Amino acid sequence: MFDEVFDVVVIGAGHAGCEAASACARMGVETALITINLDLIGQMSCNPAIGGIAKGHLVREIDALGGIMGRVIDRTGIQFRLLNRSRGPAVRSPRAQADRSLYRMEMRRMLEATPNLHLRQGTVVDLIVKNDRVLGVELQDTRRIGAKAVIVATGTFLNGTIHTGQKTFSAGRAGEPASLELAESLKRLGFPVGRLKTGTPPRLDGRTIDWDAFEPQPADENPVAFSFSTEKIEQPQITCYIGYTSERLHQKIRDNLHLSPLYSGRIKGIGPRYCPSIEDKVVKFADKNRHQLFLEPEGHNTNEVYLNGFSTSLPAELQQELVRMIPGLEEVKIIRPGYAIEYDFVDPRQIKPTMETIKVKGLFFAGQINGTTGYEEAACQGLIAGINAALQVKGRPAFQLRRDEAYIGVLIDDLIRNGVDEPYRIFTSRAEARLLLRHDNADRRLMPKGYELGLIGDLDWEKFNRRRDLIMKLHRVLENTRFKRSSVEYASLSQLLGCDLGDSISLAQLSQRQGVSSELIHRLLPESIKSETSLKELESALADILYKGYIENQKIAYERIHHHDNMKIPEGFDFRKIAGLSREMVERLERVRPQTFGQLRRISGLTPAAVSTVLVYLMANKSDRCVT
Amino acid sequence: MDTIVALATPEGRSAIAVIRLSGRDSLEIVSKLLIDENFSPKPRYASLRKIYDPETRELIDEAVVTYFKAPFSFTGEDIVEISCHGSPIVVRQILDACLKLEARMASPGEFSLRALMNGKMNLSQVEAIRDLIEAQTLAAAKQSLRQMQGELSSLLQPLKEGLLEVIVILESALEFVEDDLPEYQMDEIKTKLYEIVKQIERMSSTFKAGRLLREGLKIALVGRPNVGKSSLFNALVGYERAIVTEIAGTTRDSLHESFSINGIPIRLSDTAGLRKTDDIVESIGVQRTRKVIADADLVIFVVDCSQDLTKEDYEILSEIEDMQHLIAINKVDIKQVELVEKFNGKNVVEVSAKTAQGVDDLRRAIIKPFLSRNSAAEEKGFLVTDARHADLLIRAKKEIEKSLELLDQKASEEIVLTGLHNAMRFLGEITGETTTEDILNRIFSTFCIGK
Repeated sequence: MFDEVFDVVVIGAGHAGCEAASACARMGVETALITINLDLIGQMSCNPAIGGIAKGHLVREIDALGGIMGRVIDRTGIQFRLLNRSRGPAVRSPRAQADRSLYRMEMRRMLEATPNLHLRQGTVVDLIVKNDRVLGVELQDTRRIGAKAVIVATGTFLNGTIHTGQKTFSAGRAGEPASLELAESLKRLGFPVGRLKTGTPPRLDGRTIDWDAFEPQPADENPVAFSFSTEKIEQPQITCYIGYTSERLHQKIRDNLHLSPLYSGRIKGIGPRYCPSIEDKVVKFADKNRHQLFLEPEGHNTNEVYLNGFSTSLPAELQQELVRMIPGLEEVKIIRPGYAIEYDFVDPRQIKPTMETIKVKGLFFAGQINGTTGYEEAACQGLIAGINAALQVKGRPAFQLRRDEAYIGVLIDDLIRNGVDEPYRIFTSRAEARLLLRHDNADRRLMPKGYELGLIGDLDWEKFNRRRDLIMKLHRVLENTRFKRSSVEYASLSQLLGCDLGDSISLAQLSQRQGVSSELIHRLLPESIKSETSLKELESALADILYKGYIENQKIAYERIHHHDNMKIPEGFDFRKIAGLSREMVERLERVRPQTFGQLRRISGLTPAAVSTVLVYLMANKSDRCVT
Repeated sequence: MDTIVALATPEGRSAIAVIRLSGRDSLEIVSKLLIDENFSPKPRYASLRKIYDPETRELIDEAVVTYFKAPFSFTGEDIVEISCHGSPIVVRQILDACLKLEARMASPGEFSLRALMNGKMNLSQVEAIRDLIEAQTLAAAKQSLRQMQGELSSLLQPLKEGLLEVIVILESALEFVEDDLPEYQMDEIKTKLYEIVKQIERMSSTFKAGRLLREGLKIALVGRPNVGKSSLFNALVGYERAIVTEIAGTTRDSLHESFSINGIPIRLSDTAGLRKTDDIVESIGVQRTRKVIADADLVIFVVDCSQDLTKEDYEILSEIEDMQHLIAINKVDIKQVELVEKFNGKNVVEVSAKTAQGVDDLRRAIIKPFLSRNSAAEEKGFLVTDARHADLLIRAKKEIEKSLELLDQKASEEIVLTGLHNAMRFLGEITGETTTEDILNRIFSTFCIGK
C-alpha cells in the first residue's frame, strides 16, 4: 500500500528539516527528506546571515549536540563578526554573513554524503494518520510514503500568501508554490491553526550602488567560528556597509501608507516586532529622522545585495522610487522587490518538549510551524525533533533539555508553555541562567549528550575531551599560581594596575581586576601549560571564574521560581471553585485560561496570594501533575 | 529549597512565642544564633539554650530549641523551632538575626506548601491550608491592612517602573548591538537607581512604625528620684495611677499603663528612680528599671528645672543617649534653671505635670517620629506592616546597591542586570510579577529595533 517505506519522513528541507533529517540518519534510522524543490535545500529565504546575540548561542548549542548548521556556515560564511566583544563573555555571540548559494550547495552536499538519508522531491498533500498514530504521507503525484515518524518542517509554506502593495497571491516563498493541501490536512486533524506574518526587503543590483556614500563595516580580523570542529575559516571575508534613510523618504512612505497591505488591513497575521517593516518604523517611531540600513552582499559570485532593515510590502514600483531616496542609492536598481508573507502556524502548546504533537503519536513539528522566526530557532527545533523521532523509532527514552541547560531548552519551554502571539525569537533575556548559557561553554554543557546520542564523531569527541581537561587544569593553575609581593611580576603588575595588590595575588584574582586582559593572563601562565593553551580555552576558564558567584545565585532563584511551572491545569478547570480567590482574580484567570502553572504565574495583575492559593489547590490533586 | 523563617504563634505579647525555620540551612543558622559551631542536637529533643545576636554577640533571650531532622518534620525538611519568651521585641530580634543569616521570611502558607510538596499532607489538610491563606488575607482585611497593602503596591509601582526603565535600557544595549540605539548615560542610570534605593529605604523604614501600630509603642519614664516621673505618668495617662509623694524613691517597682495618642496604642512604664541605693527593695526596683529601659521603643528622661542638673542626671543621660529618647524638663511652673540649652535644645519638651502645661506638646513629641513628614511613604507613617514585605524591600534594596557597586566597577551589563532582575522579582513578590515579556514589550515600544 506504500510506494516506499522509511523509518522517518521529514517534510521540508529548510533549516529545521535539514537538521532533523541529518540527525535521524546519523542516529542510524532510514530517513527520507521530502522537499518541493531539491535545488533549494537549505535556502535562506530572508537575511543571508546566521547568528547574532542569542541566535549565535543557539548555533553553538546545535553544533555541540552534533547538528550541522555551524559546520555549514563556517565553510560558507563571508563575513564573520563576534558581537558584544566589549561586554562580558556570556553575551558575546558570533554572527556570520553567508554566501547564500554556497550555503545551499554545502548543505546539500553534506546531506547527500550522509548514509541512511534519502532526498525526495515532491509536495506532501496529506498526512496518513490512523488511530491517532502517523503512518506516512501522501504526495501530490499520488505516491504514498510510509514512516514510523513524520516531522513537519514546512516554514512559511503552509497556506502561504505573499503581499506586495495591493497584490496578493498564494506562494511559499517568492517564486515557489505554497502548501495548501497539507495545511488543510492539519486542520482536519484538529490542530488549532493561527496566522503569522513576516517580511523581506528588496535585493539590489550592486553595480548600481555608490559604495563610497556608505560607512564600511569590515569583518573581524580573527573570525570566531561557530563549530567546535572548525579549525580555520577559509572563505575570503568581505565588507558590509551601513547607510541611513532620509526624512524625505519617510514622508513619501507616509503619503503612500494606503498602498501598504499592512496598513490597509489586508494583512491579518501578526508580524515580529523586532523585525518591523520600514512602514512600521516610520509610523511607530515618527520622531526618528533616520533609520539605519545595512548593505549586505549576498555572495562572492553575485551582484545581488540585501538591503537589511528595509523590509517592506509596498508596491514594487514604489519600492524602486523609495530606495532611490536613500543617500548613495540614487541610481540603484532593484533585482527582487521585497514582500510580506502570511502563513499558517499551529499553536505550539500542542507539542511536547520532544517536539512530538500531543495529539498524534509519531508526528513531530519543527520550525516556523510552531510560531518561531529565524533560521537558528528553526534549526534547533529540527535537531530536537530529529533526535526524538529517531529515539522513538529505536524504542529509546526521549531526549529533552532544561531551561538551565541550553537556550534550546528555554526556547522549547517558552513555546510549549506560553504559546506565541507573534513570531517567537530567542533573546538572552529569556534565559534565567544567562550567565551559565555561554557560547564558549556550549560544548561542555552539551557535547557529552550529543556523544551519547551518537551524533558526535570520535575525532570531535577526543578533541572535546582534551579541551575540557585543559580547562579543568587551567582552573587549578589559575587558582594556585600566586605572585608574592617579593616577586618580579608583582612589582610590574602593581605598577601596571596602579594599585597595591595585597600580600600576594593569584592569577584567578588578577583576572577579575579592571584592565586585565586575557592576553596578559596568558603571558603570566606557567610555561608548563602556556604552550598547550590557546586564548580560547583560557577565556572560557576565565569566564567560569568571572560568573561563578552569580551563577550560584541564579540557580537558587531559578529553583524557586520554576519549581511548579510544569504542573498542568486541567482543561475546563473552574477557578470559581477555589474559595480564597476574589472575583477579580477569577476573571483574570478565566480570561487567560492558563494550561500550566507556569503560564498562570505570568498573568499580569494576579496577586502573589492568589497565585499561592491556586497552587495549593492544584497540588491537592497530584494526578494532574505533568511528569517532566 | 532555601531556608524560610516565620513566627509560628500569633503576633503580639504572649507567654511563649515559637519561631520556626525550615530548609537546608536551618541548623546552621541556629548554630550561629547560639554561637555554637558544634551545635548538633538530638532530633526531637528540646534543649534550653541562650540565643545571641550573632553580630553584636549580645544575649537576646534564653529559649527552648528543638530540631526536627528531614524528612521527619512537618515540612519534610530540616526544621528548627525556637520557643522564646513572647515579647515582640525578642521575637523581632531573633527574626532579624535569622534574616541577616540569609534566611528568608516565609510567604503565607509556605511551610504548609512545603509540607504538601514533600508528601507530608493529605487532601483534607490541603483544604485547611487554603483556608489558612484565606484567613490571613481576612485578618489583614480586618485590620484594614489590606488597604495599606494596596497603598504600598501603588507606591511601589512607580519604583518598579523606574527600575524597569533601567533594565530596559541595559537589556537593549546587550541584545540589540546592531541597531543604532541611543547611547545611554551611565550617570543618569546611577541617579535613577540611587533615587529608587532611597525610596525603598524610606518605605521599609516605615516598617518599624507600622509594627508599632499593631504592637503598641513602649515608653519608659526614667529619671533620678523625685523629679516628678509619677506626676508626669499620671498627667500623660490622664488619671491618678501612681502614688505621688514628696519622698524620693516612693515608686519602688515599675508601673505600667496603656492608653493611646492619636490612635497609636501606648504602653507607658513608670520606673523606680535610678540612683545608687542601699535599700534592698529599691535596688531591686532599679534593676527592673534597667530592664524596662532596654525593652522600650522610646525613653522619656525626666529632669527637674527647679534645680540644676546633678551628676546623677548626667549618668542617666549617658545610659539612654543611644536610644530613641525625649527629655521632659519638668516643673517648668517653678523654673529656676534654663535647662533647654544644656541639652542643645534637642528632643526637649518643657512641661509641668502639676499645671498640665506642655503635656500636649509632650504627647505630640512622642508620636512625631512615627507620623508624617514630607514623602508619600512617611505621610502614610505605617505603610509597611508585614514583616515579609519589609524583608522583601530590604532584599530589593540590597540587590540594587550591589548593582550600583558593579556599575562603579564598570562591570558588563549582564552582571549588573542580575541584581536588578532580582530586585524586580522581590518587589514583584509584593505587587505581582514583571515578566520577560513585559520587559521585551517595553523594549520594542521604546526603541526602534530591527536590522
